[in-house]
Order: sequence, then C-alpha cells, then structure tokens
Amino acid sequence: MPIYFTEHEIVVPGQLLSDNGKRSGEGTYTHGGKIYAARIGFASIRDNKVVVTPFKAAYKPAPGDWVVGIVSDVKPNGFEIDLGRHLKGTIRIPDREEVISTGLNVGDVVYVRIKESGLSGVVIDKRSRIRRIESGILIQIHPAKIPRLIGRRGSMINLIKRLTGCEIIVGKNGFIVINGPSPEAEFAAVKAVKMIEEEAHISGLTERVEKLLRELVGGAGAPSS
Amino acid sequence: MSRPERLIDENGRRVDGRRADELRPIRMEVGVLDKSDGSAYVEFGGTKVIAAVFGPREAHPRHLALPDRAILNCRYHMTSFSVEERKPLGMTRREIELSKVIREALETVAFLEEFPRAAIDVYVEVVQADGGTRTAGLTAASLALADAGIPMADLIAGVAVGKVDGQLVLDLCDLEDKYGEADMPVAMAPRFNSIVMLQLNGRMTVEEFKRGLALAKKGIDEIYRLQREALKKKFSKISPEEV
Repeated sequence: MPIYFTEHEIVVPGQLLSDNGKRSGEGTYTHGGKIYAARIGFASIRDNKVVVTPFKAAYKPAPGDWVVGIVSDVKPNGFEIDLGRHLKGTIRIPDREEVISTGLNVGDVVYVRIKESGLSGVVIDKRSRIRRIESGILIQIHPAKIPRLIGRRGSMINLIKRLTGCEIIVGKNGFIVINGPSPEAEFAAVKAVKMIEEEAHISGLTERVEKLLRELVGGAGAPSS
Repeated sequence: MSRPERLIDENGRRVDGRRADELRPIRMEVGVLDKSDGSAYVEFGGTKVIAAVFGPREAHPRHLALPDRAILNCRYHMTSFSVEERKPLGMTRREIELSKVIREALETVAFLEEFPRAAIDVYVEVVQADGGTRTAGLTAASLALADAGIPMADLIAGVAVGKVDGQLVLDLCDLEDKYGEADMPVAMAPRFNSIVMLQLNGRMTVEEFKRGLALAKKGIDEIYRLQREALKKKFSKISPEEV
C-alpha cells in the first residue's frame, strides 16, 4: 500500500494519505478510493488502518463509553443528562414509580455507560449500574486529552491515584470527578490533570507530573486507598 | 480616495506596484484567540480579517437543531473602523449576503453529520477592509474551523480576480475594485478542484472569464500552500508522544 506520509507527521485536512481507500480509520475519509485527512493531527498506521490522532476534537459518543454527566431534567419517563458541550443523554425508564424510586434529582452527578448514539440521541444503558457520585470535585478537560490522562494501560491515572490517594472518576466526555482524603490531595490531583491537559503533547510528561505531585503532596505521598 | 488617472501604468504596474498576476503580501496565523475553540488571522495586504469558531455546541433556539447533522451559523461583519467612512453598527444587506455565501461554502467541506443536533458558529470579523474581504474571510474561516478540530474534506482558499483598465488582474485592492470594470471573487477547495464560491460583478467576456478563473486558480494554489504552512506551524512545537 503506497502511503504519502511519514509516521507521526502533522497532517492537515485534505492531505492525501494513501491510495488504498479500504484502510481508512479515525480522522480520515475516503474519496475516489483514496484516503485523505479530515483533521489536523498526527498521521499513523494503527491496526492496519490509516488514522489521524487529532490535536483537538469534540467528544463523539460511542456505545460502551463510560461518561460523567449532570442530571439536567427529570421527566415522567426518565432523565436527561448533560454530558457537556452540545451533548445530552437520556435515561428511559417506562415506569413513573421507578423514576421516583431511583432518587436521582436535577444537579446530581452520575457515572453512566452509553448504550447507543444515533438519530434517537444518546441513550444511557440502565442495565449497567447508574452510579450517583456523592462527593468530589468536578472538573472538565478537553475530551481529546482523555487518552493521555489515562496513559498506557492506565499508567498515568494510576500514578496520580497512587501519589495523591484520591479516587478519580474519568468520563470519556471530558468530565472528571476527583474525591480525595484531604483538600490538599484533591488540589494536587486537579493540578496534575490540568497539567496533562495543557502539556499533553510535550514529551517527558510522566516525569513532570510525578515531580509536580511529589512537590505538592510530599515525597511520601498520601496514604493510599 | 478619488480615482487615479490610470490603474495600470505604462510598465504594466498596478496602483500598488504589483504586476497583473501578483498577490499582495499575505500573512496567516492560526490560534490567535484564547476563548474560541478555533481561530485564525489572515492579512491580504491592507485587508485584515479575524475568524473565530465556537462549537460544536447546543443549537439555539432548539427547534432549529437538525436530528442528523449540525447547523452551521456564520456571521460576516465589518468593524465600524474597517473602512474610510465609519460603517454603522449592525448587519447591512451586503453583510447578510456575504454571511450566507461564506456559510454555504463552508458547508461543502465540513463533515457536519458528525455532530447531530449541534451548532457550529463561525464569526468573521473584518478589522480593515481593502478589497477581497470575503475571500480573505473565507480563507480565515476555513483555517479556524480546522483549528477547532471540526472534521473537513479540505481547506478553502479564496482570491478575487478582476478587470482593470481592460486587463485581467489578480487579488484586487480596494481602488481596483471600485474603479475597475469587473470583480470576480473565487473560492475553491483546491484538493478536488471544486469551486465553492464564485461571484461576478461587472462585465467580462466568456474568454476573459476562463482566463480569469485560471488566474484565480494560480493565486488559490499559493494561498492554499500558505494555509497549510500556517496550520502546521501552530502545532509544530508539539512532539508525538505515544498515548
């Protein structure tokens, strides 16, 4: 397959990436059997597909994603959940009594799974548990930075959890809840998350995050949960 | 400014010293504003334009939202200090029309079906006007859209051609636009050679039109190259670390 980019080259919308239209992945599109970039980002080949990892991208809900949302409306047949930016999710519960018995109210923060996303909107899976988050700090980062925050097999997020002793709930939509043993620990975790958001693409990030956290919470780290 | 005696002198030089097929000095910068999702600044000589993109965000009023794709709102506006005589605030007929043609051009390249029910707002603000503001605005708007991370098939580059003292010229300035015989703004998605905006004010023969289009294409190719450079420059400091 002839390709027209070098690994991790910065590509711009409209740039020709490959002649083989069958291997078009995320961030690309095909036209006349050829692959072109649809976004600015790094082009690479992943799982035998040409993909563009964007620098900026709005969150696109996909079935199976775990997201954090805020209950924005209670209706006779369910709930409406604000997922940030332009996105609204719905939980459909046919029985009115059941709606009341869930105990959810407007303003509650929930951690839920997406069942489907399409013409009927974003529908929340109610078979997997709808978890109401009781306490913590809710922050929002750019959804494109979420993979970096989690790191390879959760390495980055586990580092923050270990050093601060906080529980961190990450929604793929960019909402994050941080719940820690002390305000200092929570503050440190928030700082680390913000640092990752701002410096996601500058190398040596893990070391810098570790250094920042050690400065803020002390070398020993908070008691781990 | 009053009409100069001649718009092209005996050496074939135009009022600002350019040759007939020469563009004005172009400057482009991406990501100039902090509070928008994407932004760009474009300068074609004395024409200075800022474009900002917000979204995708919730469509307001809600009944305008479409179930299968995002709506694109566009506002082309000239600041009151952009022209010699103060332009009153608010949208004139001309500005409403240009908002529409810019929106329709952007709709041809943006993959709006990626964001059902959402709205994307594009603001094009002319800081200083010296001819060719709609093409500069469209050039800036497509850069801002790309900067905002909206998926799109191609960038859009635009330039005006016109007829001045009986001669075809590229990238009209204000004087040539006002006192020339014809003005034809052209915008293209250069990757597929598709014209996304074309207007013509004045008179041209069919043959002149064809030559004019070819001349515009030449200018657009150069602008397109500068656009890609400007986009890549913004992100060039970023190093690819594995995620």
